Amino acid sequence: MTFREWNGEIVVFNQETGSTHLLDEFAGIVLRRLMASECGATVEELATALAYGQEAREQQESEQAVTAVLAEFARLGVAHADAS
Amino acid sequence: MILADLSRSELERRLAGPGLRLRAGPVVTQIQSLLGAVADGVALHYAAHPIEDSDGFADFFVRVDRPRNLRRWLHPQAVFYIDGEAPFTPLPLDQAFPLLEWGLNWCISAHCHQYLIFHAAVVERSGRALILPAPPGSGKSTLCAGLIHRGWRLLSDELALIDPATSRVIPLARPVSLKNRSIDVIRAFAPAAVLSRPVHDTTKGTVAHMQATPDSVRRAAEFASPAWIVMPRYEAGATAALTTLPKARAFMEMVNGGFNYSVHGRKGFEALARVVDLCACHTFAYGDLEEAAKLFDALATKS
Repeated sequence: MTFREWNGEIVVFNQETGSTHLLDEFAGIVLRRLMASECGATVEELATALAYGQEAREQQESEQAVTAVLAEFARLGVAHADAS
Repeated sequence: MILADLSRSELERRLAGPGLRLRAGPVVTQIQSLLGAVADGVALHYAAHPIEDSDGFADFFVRVDRPRNLRRWLHPQAVFYIDGEAPFTPLPLDQAFPLLEWGLNWCISAHCHQYLIFHAAVVERSGRALILPAPPGSGKSTLCAGLIHRGWRLLSDELALIDPATSRVIPLARPVSLKNRSIDVIRAFAPAAVLSRPVHDTTKGTVAHMQATPDSVRRAAEFASPAWIVMPRYEAGATAALTTLPKARAFMEMVNGGFNYSVHGRKGFEALARVVDLCACHTFAYGDLEEAAKLFDALATKS
């Protein structure tokens, strides 16, 4: 995966599919977190990292947002869910 | 030697016989044709372009002629051939020169993969390239034609050729394709501009080609560094105004207008990213060409 960031927005090149995608700031943060973790991350871990120091309600909202971004990543072939 | 050094009879002899080897920027094309409209168009629009020896290298071997069937006599048509094959539907005979131009665009965009090629006009000033990517009907060619009559050098009207290794824009000075109302707009804006006779009822409406300025042709070996990516949009009555376009979005606009971006894979992505890094990116609305030219003059002067 190759990507470039300008002012929070990211373009990512998927070498497997040859396609290029524009990610908004939130999706870009999720992608960077995923790429920084060697063996992936759970939705909960990602949401916790992104909602650090926030209330429980916001943790739940963060999980929903992360889940939506991951679903989009799966659709684009940018990242895959691991059943394990 | 340039094409204008040939007599009309010698031009016709080469077109009808062994072919005319014409250089436009980095591309040499051998052109053959028995059609007077092709000879007229080539003589008018490529007068200042270099011609090459007939035994030298040519990138493309093309021919524009009548088809070999009854249509030859009934509703006469012109066919574009490359290497003897006809990849496109024949067009009415009076569209023979536009057909040659469109065919050459296809040859370059479909084959010159040593470059990253985008659907964009490009003009240059002080070594810096202004890249104008935009869909058809946006006023891109009108703006390009206007700017080259206000101090900018034409690099290309249709195909932005970018060397992926150096990020520089390679000049490809060829005729500018004007459509419909933009023909009269340019006639009024730049009375010295040399335009061909309009051809009506093409798939793009009425089309006339405008000669590339001699300076643009003469300086074909001077590459330019990308400095601006500007997406123009003509809007009747609009005041000329630039609006910042986020670089990631400019990147995607270029990708969407890429002819062979996918061919280059990750290297293409990285090369385009370097181009975007170098550029200030904007959208641009305009309703008056003179006002637009002044704005770009100020842009080039201050930055």
